[in-house]
Amino acid sequence: MHDHQLQSILRHMPAGIATLLGPELRYGFVNEAMQALLGGHTPTGEPLAEHRGGLAADLLEVMQQVYLSGRPYVAKAYPFASSDPELPNATATKRYFDLALEPLHDENDQPQGLLLFAVDVTGQEEARQRAHELSLETRRLDARLRVLTETAPQITFTVDAEGQYEYVSPQWYYFTGQPPTADLNAIWPLLIHPDDRLRALYHADAARAAGVGWSFEYRLRRHDGQYRWMLSRALPELHAPDKPVFWHGAVTEVHDQRELSEVLRRGEAELRFLADSIPQLIWTATAEGFIDYYNQHTGDYTGLSAQELGPTGWVALLDSSEQAAAARRWVHSVASGDDYEGLYRMRRHDGQYRWHIIRARQLADSRGLRWFGACTDVDDQHRLREVLQTQYDELARTNRDLDTFVYTASHDLKQPLFNLRGLFEELRRTATFQDPEQEQLLAMVDEALSQLDGTLQELAATVQDQRELAAPTENLDLRSVLEEVLLGLRTQVQEVKATIDLELSAAPTLVYGRANLRSVLHNLLSNALKFADPNRPAHVQIISSISEAGQPQLTVQDNGVGMELRQDPATFFQLFERQNPQVPGAGVGLYLVQRILDSRGGHLEVTSTVGQGTTFTVHWFE
Amino acid sequence: MNHIVYMSRAVRPLSDQDLQELLDQCRRDNARHNVTGVLFYSHGNIAQLIEGDPSIIEPLFERIARDGRHSHVTKLVDKPIPGRSFSNWSMAFHPLESEGFTALEGFLLPNQVPPTPETLTIADALLVDLVRQAVFGANTPTTPSPNLA
Repeated sequence: MHDHQLQSILRHMPAGIATLLGPELRYGFVNEAMQALLGGHTPTGEPLAEHRGGLAADLLEVMQQVYLSGRPYVAKAYPFASSDPELPNATATKRYFDLALEPLHDENDQPQGLLLFAVDVTGQEEARQRAHELSLETRRLDARLRVLTETAPQITFTVDAEGQYEYVSPQWYYFTGQPPTADLNAIWPLLIHPDDRLRALYHADAARAAGVGWSFEYRLRRHDGQYRWMLSRALPELHAPDKPVFWHGAVTEVHDQRELSEVLRRGEAELRFLADSIPQLIWTATAEGFIDYYNQHTGDYTGLSAQELGPTGWVALLDSSEQAAAARRWVHSVASGDDYEGLYRMRRHDGQYRWHIIRARQLADSRGLRWFGACTDVDDQHRLREVLQTQYDELARTNRDLDTFVYTASHDLKQPLFNLRGLFEELRRTATFQDPEQEQLLAMVDEALSQLDGTLQELAATVQDQRELAAPTENLDLRSVLEEVLLGLRTQVQEVKATIDLELSAAPTLVYGRANLRSVLHNLLSNALKFADPNRPAHVQIISSISEAGQPQLTVQDNGVGMELRQDPATFFQLFERQNPQVPGAGVGLYLVQRILDSRGGHLEVTSTVGQGTTFTVHWFE
Repeated sequence: MNHIVYMSRAVRPLSDQDLQELLDQCRRDNARHNVTGVLFYSHGNIAQLIEGDPSIIEPLFERIARDGRHSHVTKLVDKPIPGRSFSNWSMAFHPLESEGFTALEGFLLPNQVPPTPETLTIADALLVDLVRQAVFGANTPTTPSPNLA
């Protein structure tokens, strides 16, 4: 009964218990837990070797050893693959057991068998393995952190509440050039620039006392003795609920940035100083066109502050009639990016308006779009120009008046001349002269009168043509203009029985002022007829052609008396200069031709042989 | 009577619904406080002109400047004016779906924005034309101010 009760307890124990009997290790008592461990099939009296279920070969061998040697053995955390025959494909979950092998002896101390005792230690084993993995991971993270802190271009450090350095990364040694044996706490403060030392130490001490982080800049001596600007930042590590025990931080070199921003600040200050020193109105505007800076002189000139002027107030300084156009132009420039330029009157603080050239250009760089503008006072130049313009206008008017006077005078003199001629005719008809040279004298008077008449006519023509120099040009048919001119000269043509040949097909038309063309043709043709040789019928050839330079030209060739040409072509056809004293004329004609051609960029050429004829070549535009 | 003009950037693009809510809210509040003016919105760019009694619009601007829906608030002008140039408060923007908006009171398509009022000085008209150009871009056909015409 007692034994039976004991067996029942053993059978249901949560640890595995079994007895293996004899050298063959035959199954004896196997409780439920052990049965499950061994795979369920444990026929009593059968050797373990033949029904070992999930038991590994090495364990079987160890059991036999224990049996033979009689020395107990404990296999710690021995893994069993739980083999559930019901679920052959299920993932085999490993379980761990502490396996105690105890030799059993009979009363005579002879080996009788083995007592097997298995305790499930899977939980402990897994926890141990997790702890192992965790420590590996921690080591890995620690290594990574160390690599990172030691490769970053910064000095990293840990300092305790008393300000003693707990850790400093190797960069500190590289930077300072100090040996690894250096006493950090003693040396570090000495390497800080004397001007910054007190401030830096105070900042750090104050932050530690207050239990907060810090961030400040100071100069630290580099290995080469140069002081470099460093940024020191640190944060406290809080061990709740107590006060912080460590500060972790980094020291970064910010020397170049600091220098650069210093240079930029200085550069900007210098530019501003420059802009403020220039006696011009200088301003800048945003990409949208709002003025955000006016220089000192703008304030001096306008008497208004930048605040009062505002982003668009400049337009109100202009003369009210010009404001709208100036504003429109500015809106357009801002939209298109085109340069702004204009001449405007701008009001000075005393109310006087002065002429200014306003110019602005857009600058696009990495800092975005900006406008830079300047208003240059050109009032004095502008006034000077106005004075010059007034004088010029006056001169032009005087000139016109002179022309008018000449014209009027020549016209007014015509009537007395006409009267004189009439009286002279009457005198000749009625009076008789006793002088033997009467005929000669009469002829001379007649000639003088004709000459006077011609001079007056030509003077009038000169003035008239002068006014037409600036006449608009049109495409003219040379033949029709020539025929018109010849019609006017028909008396002269008949007088010398002239033949006129027109050869115009090479350049039949010409873009020129109509009156000017007529005047040129009239003068050249009347010239050719005037100097006709009385011994032979006159022959005039007119040829229009294209020159070597591709420009139109006109040749007027006669077979008249010809003339001696002087060497100096510059003084060739002066006003009232007569080429041929035997022929009547006022000497105005060729001067006029010259003037007309000059005004259109052309010139006149002449070749002549006495007794054979003269050739004029008109280069209209060259 | 003062007017204030500012420009700003929306923190995130405003949806049609955001814009309509803004329109409703501003129309209501501004009508109550007798604030008039115009707001331009396009692609996150905001510009607004408000006119009214300084005791109303100064604190109104302070509130606007603190509004989390926009940032980079730049006040361009804040000064006394002889009188109002806008008869009410309206808003001009490009909705994605314009159908529902065209009938809304106080809503304008950017190309329907009336010319800048003649009652503004030329300097102020220039300012309004520049902010409108800055918001809608140079290519949106708008009627230039008659002051600048």
